Amino acid sequence: MEKILIQLEVNGEQHDVRCEPRKLLSDVLREDCGLTGTHVGCEHGVCGACTVQIAGRPVRACLTYAVQVEHEPIRTIEAIGDEGRLSALQQALSDHHGLQCGFCTPGIVMTFDAYLRENPDPDEAQVRDVLSGNLCRCTGYQNIVRAVLDAAARLRAENADA
Amino acid sequence: MRDSGFRYLNRPVRRTEDRRLVTGQGRYIDDIAVPGVLHACFVRSPHAHARIVSIDTADALALPGVVAVVTGEELAQWTKPLRMAPPIEGLVPVEVETLPTTTVRFQGDPVACVVACDRYVAEDAAELVQVEYDALPAVTDMWRALEPDAPQVDPMVAGNLVSHQTFAVGDPAAVEARAHRVVEACFDQQRQTHVPIETRGCVAVWDLGREHLTFHVGTQVPHPLRTQLAARLSLDESQVTVISPDVGGSFGQKIALYREELTVAALARALRRPVRWREDRLENLTAAANSREDFCRTRAAVDEHGTLLSLTLEMREDFGAYCFFPANYLARVVAMIVTGPYRVDHYAYDVKIVLSHKCGNAPMRAPMSITSWVMEGTMDAIARELGLDPVDVRRRNLIAPHELPYRTPTGECLEDITPTETFDGVLRAVDYEGFRERQRDARTRGRYLGLGLCNVVEPTTYGSRFYKAAGISGSGHEASWVRIEPSGIVNASVGLGPSGQGYESAMANAVAEGLGVEPSRVRVHMGHTDVAPYGMGSRGARSGTAGGGALFLCAQEARRKVLTIAAGRLGVDAQALRMVDGRVERRDASGDDAWLDTALTLADIARQAYLDPTSLPDGLTPGLEFHLTYDPPAMTYSNSAHACEVEVDVATGAISIARYVVAEDCGTLLNPTVVEGQQHGAIAMGLSGALFEHVVYDEAGQNTTGSLADYLIATATELPDIEIIPMHTPNRTTAAGIKGMAEGGVMGALGALTNAVNDALAPFGVVATQHPLTPMAMRDLLRGRSSRTG
Amino acid sequence: MKPAAFSYHRPHSLDHVLALLAEHGFDAKLIAGGQSLAPMMNMRFAQPAHLIDLNGVPQLDGVRLDGATLVVGALTRHHALATDPLVASACPLLAEAAATIGHYAIRQRGTLGGSLANADPAAQLPLVARTLDAVIDVSGPGGARDIPAADFFVAALTTTLEPDEIVTAVRFPCACVGDGHAFELFSRRHGDFAIAACAVTVTVSAGCFERLRLGVGGIADAPLALDEVAAEFAGARADAAVVERIAARVASLVEPVEQPGISVEYRRELVEALIARALTRAVRRALNET
Repeated sequence: MEKILIQLEVNGEQHDVRCEPRKLLSDVLREDCGLTGTHVGCEHGVCGACTVQIAGRPVRACLTYAVQVEHEPIRTIEAIGDEGRLSALQQALSDHHGLQCGFCTPGIVMTFDAYLRENPDPDEAQVRDVLSGNLCRCTGYQNIVRAVLDAAARLRAENADA
Repeated sequence: MRDSGFRYLNRPVRRTEDRRLVTGQGRYIDDIAVPGVLHACFVRSPHAHARIVSIDTADALALPGVVAVVTGEELAQWTKPLRMAPPIEGLVPVEVETLPTTTVRFQGDPVACVVACDRYVAEDAAELVQVEYDALPAVTDMWRALEPDAPQVDPMVAGNLVSHQTFAVGDPAAVEARAHRVVEACFDQQRQTHVPIETRGCVAVWDLGREHLTFHVGTQVPHPLRTQLAARLSLDESQVTVISPDVGGSFGQKIALYREELTVAALARALRRPVRWREDRLENLTAAANSREDFCRTRAAVDEHGTLLSLTLEMREDFGAYCFFPANYLARVVAMIVTGPYRVDHYAYDVKIVLSHKCGNAPMRAPMSITSWVMEGTMDAIARELGLDPVDVRRRNLIAPHELPYRTPTGECLEDITPTETFDGVLRAVDYEGFRERQRDARTRGRYLGLGLCNVVEPTTYGSRFYKAAGISGSGHEASWVRIEPSGIVNASVGLGPSGQGYESAMANAVAEGLGVEPSRVRVHMGHTDVAPYGMGSRGARSGTAGGGALFLCAQEARRKVLTIAAGRLGVDAQALRMVDGRVERRDASGDDAWLDTALTLADIARQAYLDPTSLPDGLTPGLEFHLTYDPPAMTYSNSAHACEVEVDVATGAISIARYVVAEDCGTLLNPTVVEGQQHGAIAMGLSGALFEHVVYDEAGQNTTGSLADYLIATATELPDIEIIPMHTPNRTTAAGIKGMAEGGVMGALGALTNAVNDALAPFGVVATQHPLTPMAMRDLLRGRSSRTG
Repeated sequence: MKPAAFSYHRPHSLDHVLALLAEHGFDAKLIAGGQSLAPMMNMRFAQPAHLIDLNGVPQLDGVRLDGATLVVGALTRHHALATDPLVASACPLLAEAAATIGHYAIRQRGTLGGSLANADPAAQLPLVARTLDAVIDVSGPGGARDIPAADFFVAALTTTLEPDEIVTAVRFPCACVGDGHAFELFSRRHGDFAIAACAVTVTVSAGCFERLRLGVGGIADAPLALDEVAAEFAGARADAAVVERIAARVASLVEPVEQPGISVEYRRELVEALIARALTRAVRRALNET
């Protein structure tokens, strides 16, 4: 099938991509935009490793055809954190040993970066509810939950000071 | 461990891997960009068992963007088959072609490989490859497989029985005949698969000018894989470099040299183009490797007090269709160690390994996972049948501290383990008597709580003497090098293959401790076969003991030379010097245990060693580079005791976990942070396996669990918080007292959870003997039954 | 697992959608949230030659009140249904059910129209639509028409939508003050498809069931509304004993399908437990309101 030209806005930058309509957003980000932080784990929307943000909402990049999201603001793991400083969530994940092999981690960061903006004060049950959409085979989730709750507390404190 | 005397070991440390992983800057196999690379896609059999009549690749080849389509015929010309024939008693040799040329043996068996400009086109072309099959009857059940008229899976393996091992010590039959009671129990563990979140993949780059293959692949065993790859491709080992990048989990699935990987390597050479392959999740769930599917039956002869007099174990395992590992190897460990921390003199086992038309097995985190469920379930069965308390039955039979070292019936030497202590620890933590009260109270209100216990003795590290004694070819040693650079920074390497366990910081700690520098001054390089020394890789739980041990000892050797040079420079005895955080300190001549800084640093010594070698003390050679291999003891154990509290909703069969506690003794910890994470992960995998996971083949041999919507692994809402009680004591023989761990959690979880469920269901007089413990299975047990305690 | 090739269309009006459907017919598939369709396409179980993307069509959006009816646009995302205060007050059963769909990220994309048109027997929104006797607004080449939920779901993954029609909105009756509701779902893991689910609403007056709605999903080809049982128990005391009897009655009437590993017996037992739990919660809610 013929390739078409699409314009993607990723992390604030324009990318002109020539691809087939069927090319998954996950593949376009990784191959055409050179952003390999978004990982592919299943290509059927279950594992959550490929989660990115589109217009600020967490979305499975493997269930999105790149052509569908032309001109919509897309944000990936590479945009999280600030000039080499880790975000509160990234820092908390490291502080609490909330990652081991790291393959599922970007998807979790993208999910909770969005969620904590919507709900800055979740309880543990809510965190586990949201986390249930990201599969991790290494950690047993416990330390990830700790990290999210800690990051939420830090962010609330930061915003209270601001 | 309090006050172990270590400066860096046993202290939690942030992992150095975290920064790149948490920012998405990890470099996994699919992230490696290779100019001009082609993409491979495999054509796989839709049949469980069939003869390949013909393969027509013309239409596939005609598709624009397709570069090649190859079958088993070409691969047979480019590669040698795998011969799996270790000299093990009772094990039938098998040979496996690179790609099958005549017969496919499971649904998903690869029969052809398409190479194209991208994976999309390759998948289009794969659909156009026309394979004509002659379907044959399939056998998908390990009981049926041994019947005389069952379809044969492998022509080299008569009757589908690939391994049969028996053993007996003492006279169990005689003991049974005169015992007060013989208690029988069954344990039926389902077929599972590893599900690393990163599937398999590889990139093969053939340098035609140098005649050298660079093979990027996520692997736990870089050097053994290189050896295999070179041999199968008829290349010298020096013509092959294996590089393992960041790996997104493995759990035993990334050890063997798979046929797909070999095919990709052969294609790169034949096509003179780099070729890459990334397995998709459907392939991973159906065609990578399966695991477990064991059935065990125990007979325990006991006296009226529940003393264990003899034990027999009957075991059967379904190994699938292909043997990429010696088929007996996984089950054998179960049979060898099943008695665990319990005293018994009379023991016999009969273990059969069977082939079937399913994806072949590979070891999966705790290949012996069924062990503790079996032994602890047997203890509970004894308690149930004799009307005794399950804690009392265990106490009666636990090997007491004064009985150590203890030689088990199979000749294993149990030493430096603390099962009595960890058992006491976990019982205290869960308030056993208090639970029984709550349980009684809950039952009066129609709620069914259960508490399950499971003691685990985990074999972590196999030394070479173990393999020799077991008649298995192979080594248990590990290799390391440490190099202090002229600037005083330290590079080190070890032959392990990390897949997420945080070795970079843990192994740096081992070097730091051995040498006397801060861990931040040590960088450990792993996974590159040109850089790392030839080691046996990561498997079981050997990395801490064997890998950490090798680095620790090597770093100690480095320290000795450094202090000898310093002694020469300072004009004192080397015995009076020590290295702390990269600085040389001298014992205070006043005789107190005080040390004084000498202002001499590791960097000073290094500069001297590299740039002014004639000033070195007599007998010392230039530079500061050290190599060491370390063969750990034949076997090293760690131990833990697990307790799990559950509630069973008898109306729906749902099981919820209220509490999970584990008391553990893992010896010296390279990095306590990592150890805690490993324990969480192991227990999580065990609980997930006991409750959810199941590779299901239907009667025709079709895999019905080929997506993550069908093969279920536990999510954050199904798993409890795990409370860990550290009770570490060092091993007195291994380097730095390390014991290793990482698989015992799986073993403990299977046993603790199942025993808890059975404890909850006790009033109904039913026992669950099969995994997974689904709500439907619980209702099947309960249907028509009422609670005896009302 | 890459999908087969397709031509992509991004219409910007309902008329354009209908024109595309008319032109490509069976060769086309509509994509809204894509959370059910994309997995099918990536696994090549669905291979439409034409993909018509509804995400740019403005007429399909919006949630509003129309008298005693909540009108929800087909493109409304599950997350919106779960969190919109208007939905929470006007049709709390819908909000509660939507919050249980899949996972947080799935709910950002999945849509009401997509869920109803897909008609998965285990899905939450078809069950709620059927239970509440919702009306499905549909547009086709011949114009607009209404399909009552009772007539919409025919069999598994099959509705009475013609291939050239699309769902534009769904009309739900608003809950009355003092009504109680509950949605109960049982699955292997959190977020999985229901092995059985039930949706109930109750109106309690002077301690009796003035009105009941009972819906069961996940056990048959299509969601079931147990209207006869609801009628049978109208006027009965809203107490635990009656709740038990209603649950037993529903369980005795339903005919669950057999699936590997999930027996008919099991599903029946599950339905009984879920109906009892749902009614208990619904009654509690109704009583707390008044």
